[in-house]
Amino acid sequence: MMTAITGIGWITQHEYGNVIHNLNQRYSDPDLLHSRLYNEDIFLYPVKNFGRFDAISKMTCCAVALAFHDAKIQYSEDHKYDMGIVGMNTCGSLASNICYFKDYIESGRTLARGNLFIYTLPSSPLAEAAIYFGCQGPLLYMYFLHEQIPSLLLHAEKILLNGETTRMLAVVAEEHKAVCFLLTRKKDTKTNKVYSHEQAISTIREKHLFKENF
Amino acid sequence: MSAVKAVVVACNIVTAYGWGVDDCWQGLLSGKTAINRFDRFSAKSFQTRNAAVIPNLKIDSKESLVMQMLIPLLRQASTAIPDDAFLILATTTGEIDTLERYVLDSSGDPGDSRLDYLLKKVKTLSGVNDRGIIISAACASSSAAVAQAASMIHSGEHDCVLVIACDCVSEFVMAGFSSLMALDKDMAHPFDANRKGLSLGEAAGFILLMNKTRAIRENRPIIGEIAAWGLTNDANHMTGPSRDGKGLALAIQKALRLADVSASNVGCISAHGTGTLYNDSMEMKAFKTVFGTRALPTYSIKGGTGHTMGAAGLVEIVVALQSLKKGIVPPTVNVRDVDDEAQGWVSSESSVFDGAVTITTNSGFGGINAALMVTNGRKEVKDAY
Repeated sequence: MMTAITGIGWITQHEYGNVIHNLNQRYSDPDLLHSRLYNEDIFLYPVKNFGRFDAISKMTCCAVALAFHDAKIQYSEDHKYDMGIVGMNTCGSLASNICYFKDYIESGRTLARGNLFIYTLPSSPLAEAAIYFGCQGPLLYMYFLHEQIPSLLLHAEKILLNGETTRMLAVVAEEHKAVCFLLTRKKDTKTNKVYSHEQAISTIREKHLFKENF
Repeated sequence: MSAVKAVVVACNIVTAYGWGVDDCWQGLLSGKTAINRFDRFSAKSFQTRNAAVIPNLKIDSKESLVMQMLIPLLRQASTAIPDDAFLILATTTGEIDTLERYVLDSSGDPGDSRLDYLLKKVKTLSGVNDRGIIISAACASSSAAVAQAASMIHSGEHDCVLVIACDCVSEFVMAGFSSLMALDKDMAHPFDANRKGLSLGEAAGFILLMNKTRAIRENRPIIGEIAAWGLTNDANHMTGPSRDGKGLALAIQKALRLADVSASNVGCISAHGTGTLYNDSMEMKAFKTVFGTRALPTYSIKGGTGHTMGAAGLVEIVVALQSLKKGIVPPTVNVRDVDDEAQGWVSSESSVFDGAVTITTNSGFGGINAALMVTNGRKEVKDAY
């Protein structure tokens, strides 16, 4: 591998944390998962419209923030970065699609809600993360039928090695859990606290994140 | 830049102009739009009742709308598609009409609209052995997919990649765009001074990319080359483009850098040109940032085909290949009074074109930008112009 993973952030319904710096926090109130996230110490500055995000977008942004924290990267709303983002999940935007279209039908089939419509694209959670964190590199939602997390990491690595951007985020996000890997070319890595793809995947599996389907 | 070339050896599309590249090409050259009043579903409460729909697709068929497009296209192409091709499916909403049915009359399973289910059907239909992947990047989905396909060939990871793209006009999508006030109540007028929004359209298509060495070995026709690409994000807004066009300009510059050529090698631009105020203005700013005062022949097909969403990029690459083959820049259908920003670049008339390199651009929700360098595959990009 010619790339290294310098940060891994993860979040579930009950806990969040990072891997390389071994953070493990329990939620103050797991029953209020989505509304509570905003008040937890996850983000460096407020996330605009966070309350309106769909569940996968919230999870995506949290996991990315935790990966940045793990990699000791300070992000700022005043700066944008040459960083790409690829992501995947099991069902695309299915839950948001149902939510949006049911709302439209129940509202009399006349006017849809734009705020729900924007999350009917599988790439929208990644776009919310790109906007908040200022990621100006390639953005792709991808789906692999097999070896999903390894395939996603490999694709992120290929984009990096192709010289298309200088850092990549690879995110797997469902409605109640997410993990984000931050990849850098080895030659650009200043820290020795890095994980290989295999180490990263094995750690995520040990934490029972995405074990079954990925 | 890789010495390996990713060449297009087969392609086809279906648009509201009809089945096949020629129908679309002749439709565009005629200057007539394929955007019309349609009756697939009631659109009376939307901004418009017009869209570019493919005649004879049935909303109540046992096959979804996109499968009704893909089945004839891929069956016809079956002999051209090798079974070892790597498969990429590009779409935004796929078989969304199956989800509509579930919500409206509780028939079927909403999970049937999942993109991975469509991927499995497309894999069977195309006859490839590979299980394939999905790429979705809003309205830049298929241009991003073709970029990834070319990248796979350049890197030697695969020597043959099949990209399939599709999206349909549905009540689901039209209600959404209408809620965002993004639709022109009449029809899209890209780059027009009086443009007021986009028109939805539907399309499906495929591009078979091959390593040039293999293409020659197998006596495949070389239709053109995907020479380079650039993908960026504005990181600015979910539904609106960055007003200054810097994100798209950067995507074009990345493509030029990847191909190791200068802006002067580019002869033509196939723009995203949706007909919205902000998209078209943003694009012209981006083009002028990259190409300066040298006005390049620039066109948008969306006044004719409508905005075919995730399929738009692939359809536009196929049209760009046809433009390079015929030596003609197609007209921008529906432009009447060219906007000041696009004066000298965009025209309602077709023109003769003897260049070898076209840049195609697409942008989408979430600030996604894609630029691809498409050539006629006959000479090195550096030797063009």
